[in-house]
Amino acid sequence: MQQGMRHLSTLLDEQLERHGLKDRVKINVSGCLGMCHKGPIMVVNPGYTLYGGLEEPDVAQIVREHLIQGRPIARLVIEEDHLFNRFFRIFGDVNFFGKQMRIALRNCGIIDPENIDDYLALRGYEALAKALTDMTPQQVIDELKTSGLRGRGGAGFPTGLKWQITADQVSGEKYVICNADEGDPGAFMDRSAIEGDPHTVLEGMMIGGYAVGAAQGIVYIRAEYPLAIERLERAMAQARDHGLLGDHILGTDFCFELEIRLGAGAFVCGEETALIQSIEGARGMPRPRPPYPSVSGLFGKPTLINNVETWANIPVVIVDGGQWFSSIGTEKSQGTKVFALAGKVVNTGLIEVPMGTTLREIIYDIGGGIPHGKAFKAVQTGGPSGGCLPADYLDTPVDYESLAQAGSIMGSGGMIVIDEDSCMVDIAKFFLEFTQSESCGKCTPCREGTKRMFEILTRISDGRGQAGDIEKLERLGDMIKKSSLCGLGQSAPNPVLSTIKNFREEYEEHIRDHTCRAKVCPSLIAYAINDACVGCGACKRGCPVNVISGRTKQKHTIDQTQCVRCGLCLATCKYDAIDKV
Amino acid sequence: MAIPFYLRLKQERDVANALEVIRKKRAEAVGRIVSKGFLSSKRVYVGMATCEMAAGSKAVMTVFREAVTRGGLTDVFLSQKGCAGRCNLEPTVEVVEVGKLPVRYGKIDPARAQEIVDRHLKNGQVISEWVID
Repeated sequence: MQQGMRHLSTLLDEQLERHGLKDRVKINVSGCLGMCHKGPIMVVNPGYTLYGGLEEPDVAQIVREHLIQGRPIARLVIEEDHLFNRFFRIFGDVNFFGKQMRIALRNCGIIDPENIDDYLALRGYEALAKALTDMTPQQVIDELKTSGLRGRGGAGFPTGLKWQITADQVSGEKYVICNADEGDPGAFMDRSAIEGDPHTVLEGMMIGGYAVGAAQGIVYIRAEYPLAIERLERAMAQARDHGLLGDHILGTDFCFELEIRLGAGAFVCGEETALIQSIEGARGMPRPRPPYPSVSGLFGKPTLINNVETWANIPVVIVDGGQWFSSIGTEKSQGTKVFALAGKVVNTGLIEVPMGTTLREIIYDIGGGIPHGKAFKAVQTGGPSGGCLPADYLDTPVDYESLAQAGSIMGSGGMIVIDEDSCMVDIAKFFLEFTQSESCGKCTPCREGTKRMFEILTRISDGRGQAGDIEKLERLGDMIKKSSLCGLGQSAPNPVLSTIKNFREEYEEHIRDHTCRAKVCPSLIAYAINDACVGCGACKRGCPVNVISGRTKQKHTIDQTQCVRCGLCLATCKYDAIDKV
Repeated sequence: MAIPFYLRLKQERDVANALEVIRKKRAEAVGRIVSKGFLSSKRVYVGMATCEMAAGSKAVMTVFREAVTRGGLTDVFLSQKGCAGRCNLEPTVEVVEVGKLPVRYGKIDPARAQEIVDRHLKNGQVISEWVID
């Protein structure tokens, strides 16, 4: 205000009056935007264009060029604020959004995903237009190489290189595929991205089609995501109506078609070769690589396959340039990463942070720490293919190399926080049970090996573990990793191996002492009633096997020989009179 | 199967400048959004992703829609949005008011939505206990 804002707003009002825009444009005098050194500041909505350092003549120019001709004035735009911290400026909520930076999810939670106008208003499809008008396919690929963007599906293969290989193939037909077969337990990044902003994925794929010379795109998405599918279909129809999909896109010679293929929910179909088999109509099973899909993919043609999050990054790389993109993140991992933060953390949620943010910042600053004053025990990244990292690793920066070095993986973005109430053997067993049942069965190490590992883990958690079981798990795990056909098998032992590495004593306690320190494994615990019991009889009525006895208003007892350890009595008791021992 | 664009014969016609086309489209889109009432003094956004719907946001949306269509609530722009990431606080509702900082409410059910309509939207009173801060 002191920097002449009142004056500017009067000036702006006059200008609007003169151009007859008074009923179409509304002036909001806003509070502090937190950028005092850049003032006076003006934000033009919709579009959130931020102008700074304004002087009197600028106002007339903004009205003339931006409001009337729809052309933002580059000279006055504050660049540093393009995406960074945009979220908490819009939402307030500084604790949650302050450390985040949203590139892939830049429109998620801001726009109406079912209305293409909202996307267009926020510079939607500008990247596609820019690529078609000002850039050759090779320039698009070069921009991507400059950006340093790496595959967000988990493995982190350089995207620019993948595009280059596909573009270099001489073939009359090529394909572009979006891998939206998200299957990690507890992960929902791709679903939220598509549901919140479907057009950005479409735009990314079209740019990919232009760069590698493909005219057909396929979105492979799991049928369990009906709303995401519905919104994708709606987005495609709207894009088609606007001449943004189909023949002669935006009046150019570029033609691109898109179709959706539904996956039936097999985890292995997230693996690219299995996914391609599934699209072809065959059983979803991986095949050995090479040849990589970039050379011989769908129907034997060169195929560019990327994950949803990777596609969502593409328009930003094109509009803002690879140079800008590469300035975010770390030296080897540029840009941001989306995580589905879940488990024992106060603020569970979908977050996007610059690469290099530490696990501690994610869990304590954004996530708000562990609820109910419990102690942090481990964080699991990468879902069933990843590992568990204990507290010593909390200061590990999140990037492909650091996480791999710490013994986990980046993965597609699942992040599960584990507190002291969880048993690491049980966690490992949970993930292994998942991969074991999702193993397609094509190669023996994965099919048989994970089964045997699961049997050993079950034995340990049942209190029947034998000396040497840990070594057996390690040997088996190592063997499965080295000899499996695809990524599923090669990474399936990770949860077990990393928990053995970091929490070996817990395994030993289970085997040697038959105790579970977190009191989770049913066979190793018992329920007992303490002196706080008032004899209300609630547990007695709730017990499914009728092993609780005692008179009304007197302390009850549990018959340990017949108790099935279901835990219902503990859940029923209102007096904290039942202990796990 | 469409013939790849680079195998097609270049047609003898003016190739439109795609950037110009998209700028025009953006201006039109902004115009359409404005004509739907974007410049109302209050804007209400209801989170409508699968997770928010599972938490009950459809019923919340109905309350606001009823209020706008039948309840005599005027000068309010109602829209849906995708997931902003606050999973444990869903369904979320965001109220953007001219000249004020945006307010976001968490864990909104139909009863609370009705109260937001009555207290905040009609009387300008922010219900601070439900605000996400």
